[in-house]
Amino acid sequence: MSALLPLLSDGFWSAVAAAGFAILFNVPRRTLPGCAIAGAVGYGLRTLLVEWGMMLELATLAGAIVVGFLAEFFARRWQTPAAVFTVPGVIPLVPGSFAFHALMGLIQITDVGAFGGTPVLVEAAVNAVRTGLILAAIAAGTAAPSLLFQRHRPVV
Amino acid sequence: MSREKVPPTSTDANVDSRALTRPTGPTKPPLSYEELRDVIDLSLWAGQMLLQHGAESQRVEETVHRLGTGLGCDWMDILVSPNAIIVTTTSGNEFRTKTRRVVRMGADLWRVTAVNDLSRHVNEGQLDRFQLRHELEQINATPPRYPRWLVVFVVGLACAAFSRLFGGDWPVFGVTFLAATVAMAVRQELSKRYFNHFLVTVASAFVAGVLAGSATLFNLSPQPEIALVSAILLLVPGVHLVNSAEDLIKGHLVTGITRGAMGFLITLAIALGLLLAMRLIGVEGL
Repeated sequence: MSALLPLLSDGFWSAVAAAGFAILFNVPRRTLPGCAIAGAVGYGLRTLLVEWGMMLELATLAGAIVVGFLAEFFARRWQTPAAVFTVPGVIPLVPGSFAFHALMGLIQITDVGAFGGTPVLVEAAVNAVRTGLILAAIAAGTAAPSLLFQRHRPVV
Repeated sequence: MSREKVPPTSTDANVDSRALTRPTGPTKPPLSYEELRDVIDLSLWAGQMLLQHGAESQRVEETVHRLGTGLGCDWMDILVSPNAIIVTTTSGNEFRTKTRRVVRMGADLWRVTAVNDLSRHVNEGQLDRFQLRHELEQINATPPRYPRWLVVFVVGLACAAFSRLFGGDWPVFGVTFLAATVAMAVRQELSKRYFNHFLVTVASAFVAGVLAGSATLFNLSPQPEIALVSAILLLVPGVHLVNSAEDLIKGHLVTGITRGAMGFLITLAIALGLLLAMRLIGVEGL
């Protein structure tokens, strides 16, 4: 029970975040609950997996795959493109704070000068790499349903 | 998908390579001059709306193709580039090519859904080209589904929700909500006046930074820097970055790279605005 409460609260706040961005992206009104659910499930799963000791990048991939398949299911039910659910649904997973720290580190280089700069630069690089990996995981995860099940023979 | 209409014989090695780009099955009746003109105009317009409002390149291609063939063309060749779409329609012995400029890229998923619905209806034969034109005009003219004040409010709430996810306490929640709400209002006002997109981002990030920095300034919480990180999340180009990666994975390299560069520049603009704010109010580090 004590482990369940933080998970529920994380699920709730990520649902709020996903629904908020869904409104910013002007999704059809009937699809709002689906967007909130996609956001909550994806982020909740990631939190759970990280808590069980999985790498953040892999956990993000798992969360994004679930968002991708959930979106495909919702898209059939509500007759919309899957992007309506994947785009707001992965918003809680987007590594905004990593990207932010990477850039802030890069800019800080101007302050520390040539001799004290190495740790700052390394930290910025680590943040940048993690940002890239997490973004790739999100994209691969949400594209998973179409990559696996909607293949075409090349025309040309 | 429409590409399955190509009969398997067309992939044989002994077929003339030109034939591979054209269907070789039973052809539809050739379209008249006016019909062909309308088909290319309408499908290109639909494609432009999709690209402008946040669809990834694969979806743009597929929808334009489905619309064109649904309206009676034999084949459509589509080139999606970051700021233009080029389409060639083919019907009988006639073909025609047209280019359309795509000015800005945003996210408006209602329009993407609406255009997608149209392409399905056209393919099922429920809409002809005159009805399609009427429908596209309506989609183009429909104002956003949510009032502006509501968008400002929920975006503020979403950023405040992020501060909770990052482990912030209630004072940080309140400061983040205030900062993000005001920053969103600033962003809307500046965008409405057609300021440069990067300039709008720098200015909004600056406003968010100054307001969220007050949590540090007045010592409201043990972790005031969470407010700074959360308040600027409304500006993070999530759609650009995710679409970029998806385009790259699916082989649309040019659009993917362009969208990625755009996302990177916007992130840089956010950092710049925030840095200015932190220097101004004297908040150091994070």
